Amino acid sequence: MKVCRRSFLSLIIGGAAGTALSPLPLKLMDDSSIWSQAWPWTPVPEDGEVSHVGSICTLCPGGCGITVRKVNDRAIKIEGMKGHPVNNGGICVLGLSGLQLLYGPTRVKTPLKRVGARGEGRWEKISWDEAIAEVVKKLGGLREKGKSHTVACISGTDRGTVAQLLGRFLTVYGSPNFIRIPSIQDSYELTMHLMQGVQASAGFDVENADFVLSFGSGLIEGWGSPVRMIKANSKWKERGKVVQIESRLSNTAAKADKWVPINPGTEAALALAIANVIIQKSLYNADFVKNYSSGFEEFKQMVLNEFSPDDVSGITGVSASTIESLAKSFAGSSKPLAVCGRGQGETPGSLNEFMAVHTLNALVGNIDKKGGVWTVPDPDYIKWPEVEMDRIAANGMSKARIDGAGSKRYPDTRYLLDRLPNAINSGKEYPVEALFVAGANPVYTIPDSKAVKEAFNKVPFVVSFSSYMDETAVNSDLILPNHVFLERYEDVPTPVGLQKPIIGLSKPVVKPLFNTKHLGDVILLMAKAFGGQIAKAFPWDSYEVCLKETLGNKWDKLINDGFWADSNFRPAVWGGAFHTPSRKFEFVNKGKAESIKIEGDEKAYPLILMPYDSMRLASGFIGDPPFVIKTVEDTVLKGKEIVVEVNPKSARGFREGDQAILSTPKGSVKVRVHHFNGIMPGLVALPRGLGHTAYDEYLADKGVNFNELIGPVEDPVSGLNAAWGIRAKLTRA
Amino acid sequence: MSTLDDKAEETVEQVETTKCPEKEQKNRACGIILIFFVIGLVGSLAVGWLIFPKLLYSQKKQPIDFNHVVHVAAVEDGCESCHYFREDGSFSGVPKLAQCVGCHEEAQGENPEELKFVEEHVTKGNEVPWLVYSRQPDCVFFSHASHIKMGKLDCVVCHGHIGESKHSRVYEENRLTGYSRDIWGKNLAGLKKDTWDRMKMDDCAECHAELKAKGETVTTLPWPINWMPRPYEKPASSQVRVNIQKDACFVCHK
Amino acid sequence: MKEQHKNTKAKKYGMVIDLDKCTGCGACMAACMAENNVPFKKDESNKLDSITWMRVYSLTNGKKFPEADMCYIPRPCMHCEAHNGHAPCVSVCPAVATDYNHETGIVSQIYTRCFGCRYCMAACPYHARYFNWWDPVWPDGMEKYLSPNVSPRMRGVVEKCSFCFHRYQLAMNKAYVEGRRELEEDEYQTSCTQACPAGAIIFGDLNNPGHAVNQIAKPDPKHGGRPMNPHAFRLLERLGTNPKVYYLSSREWVRRAGDNYIKDEGKQGNH
Repeated sequence: MKVCRRSFLSLIIGGAAGTALSPLPLKLMDDSSIWSQAWPWTPVPEDGEVSHVGSICTLCPGGCGITVRKVNDRAIKIEGMKGHPVNNGGICVLGLSGLQLLYGPTRVKTPLKRVGARGEGRWEKISWDEAIAEVVKKLGGLREKGKSHTVACISGTDRGTVAQLLGRFLTVYGSPNFIRIPSIQDSYELTMHLMQGVQASAGFDVENADFVLSFGSGLIEGWGSPVRMIKANSKWKERGKVVQIESRLSNTAAKADKWVPINPGTEAALALAIANVIIQKSLYNADFVKNYSSGFEEFKQMVLNEFSPDDVSGITGVSASTIESLAKSFAGSSKPLAVCGRGQGETPGSLNEFMAVHTLNALVGNIDKKGGVWTVPDPDYIKWPEVEMDRIAANGMSKARIDGAGSKRYPDTRYLLDRLPNAINSGKEYPVEALFVAGANPVYTIPDSKAVKEAFNKVPFVVSFSSYMDETAVNSDLILPNHVFLERYEDVPTPVGLQKPIIGLSKPVVKPLFNTKHLGDVILLMAKAFGGQIAKAFPWDSYEVCLKETLGNKWDKLINDGFWADSNFRPAVWGGAFHTPSRKFEFVNKGKAESIKIEGDEKAYPLILMPYDSMRLASGFIGDPPFVIKTVEDTVLKGKEIVVEVNPKSARGFREGDQAILSTPKGSVKVRVHHFNGIMPGLVALPRGLGHTAYDEYLADKGVNFNELIGPVEDPVSGLNAAWGIRAKLTRA
Repeated sequence: MSTLDDKAEETVEQVETTKCPEKEQKNRACGIILIFFVIGLVGSLAVGWLIFPKLLYSQKKQPIDFNHVVHVAAVEDGCESCHYFREDGSFSGVPKLAQCVGCHEEAQGENPEELKFVEEHVTKGNEVPWLVYSRQPDCVFFSHASHIKMGKLDCVVCHGHIGESKHSRVYEENRLTGYSRDIWGKNLAGLKKDTWDRMKMDDCAECHAELKAKGETVTTLPWPINWMPRPYEKPASSQVRVNIQKDACFVCHK
Repeated sequence: MKEQHKNTKAKKYGMVIDLDKCTGCGACMAACMAENNVPFKKDESNKLDSITWMRVYSLTNGKKFPEADMCYIPRPCMHCEAHNGHAPCVSVCPAVATDYNHETGIVSQIYTRCFGCRYCMAACPYHARYFNWWDPVWPDGMEKYLSPNVSPRMRGVVEKCSFCFHRYQLAMNKAYVEGRRELEEDEYQTSCTQACPAGAIIFGDLNNPGHAVNQIAKPDPKHGGRPMNPHAFRLLERLGTNPKVYYLSSREWVRRAGDNYIKDEGKQGNH
């Protein structure tokens, strides 16, 4: 049989016919189209039963209630909690992206011990037992040598059980150096302390204020509790007026009813000029001034002599007529409120400015009144027995604080973290032998990054409790990762700026994903390992037991509702509100209200660099997760380059988008120039919250950290950092 | 492919065959050609109908052999006893372990499959990785609520008489798409006898078109997505498309 | 009020965004990304390829310091009704992958059906549509937060805001199970509306005279839904796209900017 070509063709034709008559072609076509439409590598999220868990967001001090939607055991989305007194359903861009932090690549998954050089990023995984033993060994050694006071601890907050446990540990161990991250809270607390004689936070009844005079506060840019403030802003749109005094057209300024551009750094003078008009025209609350205040006459003389609108107009650049009209409308409103603290309020600022602004509130008598500034006492639910210090601890606690807080020079200030790097670097005080960092990222957030890093390098033992591989964690020796906020219990006392005391409860939404441990439990374990008085001060088996016991009968309500509000709370009555020596509000006049001089020589640095804040840039201890960095505009960040704003008038030949070198006495960086008509000529504005070197590739190495370009300027009264800007220049790249 | 030489040869050959019309030779040649044709035909049919399905589908056994009959007899509410609607309107689908534990905390009988279930899953707390015959691609949105609660459809219409099964069928997974053979249907030619034989988009469309023809307000597919001929409905035109009130991608796709 | 009980009435879901209240905080953008499994890349500063179903633009009045002014404007998909559902993007799609839903007024899309020709992107005057130039990549472990209600898209397809249609579907499911065919207004709200801390976004049925969106925007049915509220405007009104997103602003320059105003041009407009 000869198999010729024709037979072969016939075979093919037969084959083709057979194939056509079989389901193969159609089926294969169908299947490959399905395959190509739903690539196997495209994730298919698993469906399941939906549940909701209520909790509190602790990514910032705002204390918003959140409701986390879950599908089976996966957290799917964070939403604002309806009915929560702070945010009532609203939520900010960072809170919404919280799951990217929970499930993200920046988590520290297990205790880590440094292997390579500091900051090199080489780590060895160790067990929790080893990690705690390591810390205890180091601390025990220092204690034996009588150097317990050389241990310092930087904490994001000093309120709530976790921070209190940390502070308690430090005390009973024998170190006075518990240091809170600085913010305008410091200045406000000090203001309340000096003028009203109270140890309390300032709360603002913003919802009821009908005229808000803001001295550069980023009311809708993260000042106070961000969501609450934005909600209040919407209320003001319906009934109320906002005047923003600021040298740059910030979002707050753009949304305000009136924007008053001012020469930066002269806000205190403007406030006193407004006081001048109010006093001169007798627009003040006579009842309050006469019956509940002291030192008014002296204050009056000072203001009338030194802060006439005409004089101040020259300093501030705000016309005398504007000053007068501001004073009239402020004093003429039924519930006026004056606030200060620039931007999101991360820099404490000048105490004189705070007191000058608070004076305005006093003049119109809206202290502890509807729509005014309220005295919010520190929550008193933490009632643990007094610690019993042993001899070493008592000795350590008797030493002066390394940051100078509470010293003769700054007697009323409680924490001065911004002074710490210099204290370590100069070596004038005692050296810091061990440093703990919890809920904070000082290597990134403290001004003068170079000095901060230098100081860190001088500390032989740095322990970070960070859940994320942030700049501080990278520069530490040991990382003892805390659960992230969605994995842990934690009480959240009154959010910053809220006028009523409330307690929120952060709850575990999902089981801990990694080999992390609650900071509260770590403290208890360390204490137990020490034994003696230290262990005695911590009689709880676990943090959860401690928390439950501490919250007592509030626990059930907190578990069910997520928050507890003191329904009996009323603002103090003037008669008994003030605990100053005179039992009255004191128009304190500590030295002349001179403006804070910023660093740098005007000739060498013709421009002034100022930071600006945005809701889309998290500049605290949490870095922007991918969703948030995605919302950042291309006039802020372009590729990896940061964009600075200059007025076209002072651009000096730099066109839109040009590359430039921005230099200050602290350093120089590469930037791109953006022309912005909303900024005062002579200024350069740089966004805060960029320039991370740690975290993931979605955030790292993008832009510049403002803190690299500025150093702290000590406020002469409080010692807090009052730097509002720094001299700068732009040169060709 | 063919070179000039090939072409030349071909012509020669053709000339030869036409020039020598020896019947026998021709018949034999035809025969051989035919045989090859048949071999090709039969071979490819065999490949298409017998081997291709074997290659296309992998056979998987359910982790536990499940007896629907026993369970249906033991519960009160029929299918909805285990496959129920949640309060939020979503459909629970295949039960989770927690549900099974309600009765199977401990083994109820001697059945080895049940013992295996209790031992491997209940005591260890591992979910059973059931293979879902009706699993649709991720782009599909299907509302059980609208079909069962509003449309009053019986489960059988789409899922067949699965409630009468004593053993779990073999799960045939399409190696290319990863979906169950049940979606395309047992019949590889795509033929179906009963409504539950296939679960493709056209099967949805077919039923919906039928209902629409009866005047019900249901979603139908706009032309030309639904290009399959439907005898009971006149071909859709753009005019029809505009008038149809319930159509749009998101109704069935997510 | 009796109108509400008729259960066959078609809905026209739309939005009113109060630009006086909008603070540009970006919560709507993140709320949308989190709800709809929107992917992200390492660099998102090229806004042309940065997928943001909801994007907040900033407008400036072009004046010099200190007269300069600024306004944020959130831009979801406008869900144009145009004339009888002939939205610009719908009519150009050769794959019939996008469609106008007459029942809800939502422009919907099947991602798996789209073959990426991007005609719709060219047709959309609002830049509301985005193309997936790359396959989405979630860092290891992060795919855990993906929602099962919206299918993740793949490289080569176009996507856009859906007014969170899956939320409508889920709300309808709940209604069905409870034996209802009608939704209460608050049962179906988009993710951005829900999240907005300023309460600047209001979402609901424009056909329902009882709802805030209708009362605020006052759409004029005789003029293609043009708002009768003097403070309300729609983007590029004169194109006749009949969008379902209305904006409110007390500032005239903002309202003018919204319609790409050219001096004297409006005088020839005839719709």
